[in-house]
Amino acid sequence: MLRSLAALLLFSTSALADTADGNALKAMSWDQIVDQARGGTVNWFMWGGSDTINAYVSGYVADRLRADYDITLNRVPITDAADIVNQVLSEKEAGVTDTGSVDLIWINGENFRSMKQADLVFCGYAGLLPNDTLVNWENPAIANDFGVPVDGCEVPWNTVQFAFAHDSAVVADPPRDMAGLIAWIKANPGRFTYPAPPDFTGSAFLRHVFIHAAGGPDSLLGAFDQAKFDETAAKTWAILNEIEPFLWREGATYPTTVTQLNELFANGEVDFSFDYDPAQFGLAVQAGTFPDTTRSFGLTDGTIGNTNYTLIPYNSPNKAAAMVVQNLLLSGEAQLEKAKPEVWGAAPAIEVSRATPEVQDGFAAIKTHPSVVPAAELAKAALPELQADWLTAIEKGWTANVGN
Amino acid sequence: MRANLRTLAGLALAVFLVLPFLPLVGWSVARGWRFPALLPDQVGVDAWAYALSPPSGVLASFAVTTLIASATTLLAILVGLPAGRALGLYRFRGRGLVFLLLLAPALLPGIAVVFGLHGILLRLGLAGSIPGVILAHLVPVLPYMTLVMAAVFARFDTAFEDQARSLGATPWQTFRHVTLPAILPGLMVGALFAFLVSWSQYLLTLSIGGGRVQTLPLLLFSFASAGRNDITAAIALLYILPGLMILAVTARRITGRGAALTERLHP
Repeated sequence: MLRSLAALLLFSTSALADTADGNALKAMSWDQIVDQARGGTVNWFMWGGSDTINAYVSGYVADRLRADYDITLNRVPITDAADIVNQVLSEKEAGVTDTGSVDLIWINGENFRSMKQADLVFCGYAGLLPNDTLVNWENPAIANDFGVPVDGCEVPWNTVQFAFAHDSAVVADPPRDMAGLIAWIKANPGRFTYPAPPDFTGSAFLRHVFIHAAGGPDSLLGAFDQAKFDETAAKTWAILNEIEPFLWREGATYPTTVTQLNELFANGEVDFSFDYDPAQFGLAVQAGTFPDTTRSFGLTDGTIGNTNYTLIPYNSPNKAAAMVVQNLLLSGEAQLEKAKPEVWGAAPAIEVSRATPEVQDGFAAIKTHPSVVPAAELAKAALPELQADWLTAIEKGWTANVGN
Repeated sequence: MRANLRTLAGLALAVFLVLPFLPLVGWSVARGWRFPALLPDQVGVDAWAYALSPPSGVLASFAVTTLIASATTLLAILVGLPAGRALGLYRFRGRGLVFLLLLAPALLPGIAVVFGLHGILLRLGLAGSIPGVILAHLVPVLPYMTLVMAAVFARFDTAFEDQARSLGATPWQTFRHVTLPAILPGLMVGALFAFLVSWSQYLLTLSIGGGRVQTLPLLLFSFASAGRNDITAAIALLYILPGLMILAVTARRITGRGAALTERLHP
């Protein structure tokens, strides 16, 4: 009885979900896909902690989708994309293969790897999106998400590069490389800390120390190498244990999230914060959270950059409409809008030189927020992201050797 | 002297209850409020403007949360009132076991229940929908409702109903004019509990609603975890409104006294 009721319910909803069949879509032309997408609804699950990013998505993006394609965009704010990976996974286990609740996810890194490994991703359609030609897939930092080949399973949305923030009224002349930062920490006890892994940002800070200990990234690229790891990890833990007594609260405790680090920085308890997306510093100043004198900088020995993406789960019932959303997000106009500092200040995922002259002029006219180090300046010293196996090994090693 | 003491105690209680909310009011209008400043650097209504603007979804979320909590309360009354009557008035085999089973959802941590519940609702096609979330909320809400009603009926004298029936009242008239007035204060307490328990659910809503049913606790947590104290405070102040309103409306009626409760009939 229960089973037949469930079957009936599933059948009745799948009758409406006519763009769940991804292979059928891949055989269509773009115009046909847009026709299929009209009148659809897209449930987009994305981190919801920034009012300006929320306003860009629920305002600019949603308005254009409604006006141009009659598509309703339902922005679903979440705290951690890992929850949504689990949700799609449990839907798969329950046999929900074409009526999933998630149509689009803002994602990268480990969560992408989990979804790809578990076959939860709709792949191989990116070439169909007209704006895909704006993306430089030759760039390994875009074609690989934390070392995992994208393989047409994700569409890039933003590029980011790690940067540090300081209050120029407190620290006028911050250190410019990792060796300098380590020396600064020892000279200024209690004025620095970093979030404990597995916090996303704290983990990224550890990788900077790890790369510094290895003398550069070259020997760490490629697949995980236990011997190389052991050698570099020993040096890394030595550095981190050496600075521990000079950290905030003598290193007896670490912030558990980057939010806590930001709060410490905002209240002047520590002198540095850092983030994967320097645009966040500008947004924090605009929101009044950080002081106006906040400035940000990269390291001369490089900071890690990566790309974040949008992804359609394999069981989305609104794939056509989700593809239209992805195509719109990639358009020169939408990328330009979110690059404006008052909107978000996000660095584009497209090659601006491939966009229309108007869009190029728009990008040229953008004045970066004074608190945000320009992407072009950061890009002068960029480090590649390590593969996910390195990342998990570093996080585990930190817990055993430093955070104990 | 006694009156003074009561006033003093009342004042102390009010201060104790109100004080924690003062920083919320401050934060909701603060633009930059950093240690060690006692007051915000600048004040503004940005956080409120955002929270009340349609794209933020806060008002829509307020409506959804109200709908879910009201529906949950109504269903809980429909189930909990007869169940509480049976448990409160009658002695039967296995009554202790029924009590234990009823209490179980209130004793077990929600996270232990949530995964199994999600699987069941997913197979029924109710996961990610408002009806699914209402059903899920009934799990923690029903014990409160039933136990409160059981306690009320334990002091209820059915002789009043018998009198009404013997004077020719129909079952509905008896319920409407005799039973209901007697149990109303208890029913209101139960309904208040039910509403507030549903209103404050986080984990159940997140997992069963799958993010698609956005209640206020979800929005609140999403901003709190992002460190936006100003917007968090504005939403938090909206969040406590219904509880205060319900309390204000019902406070005078939930004194625990009722005409047909046994103390009055058999002093």
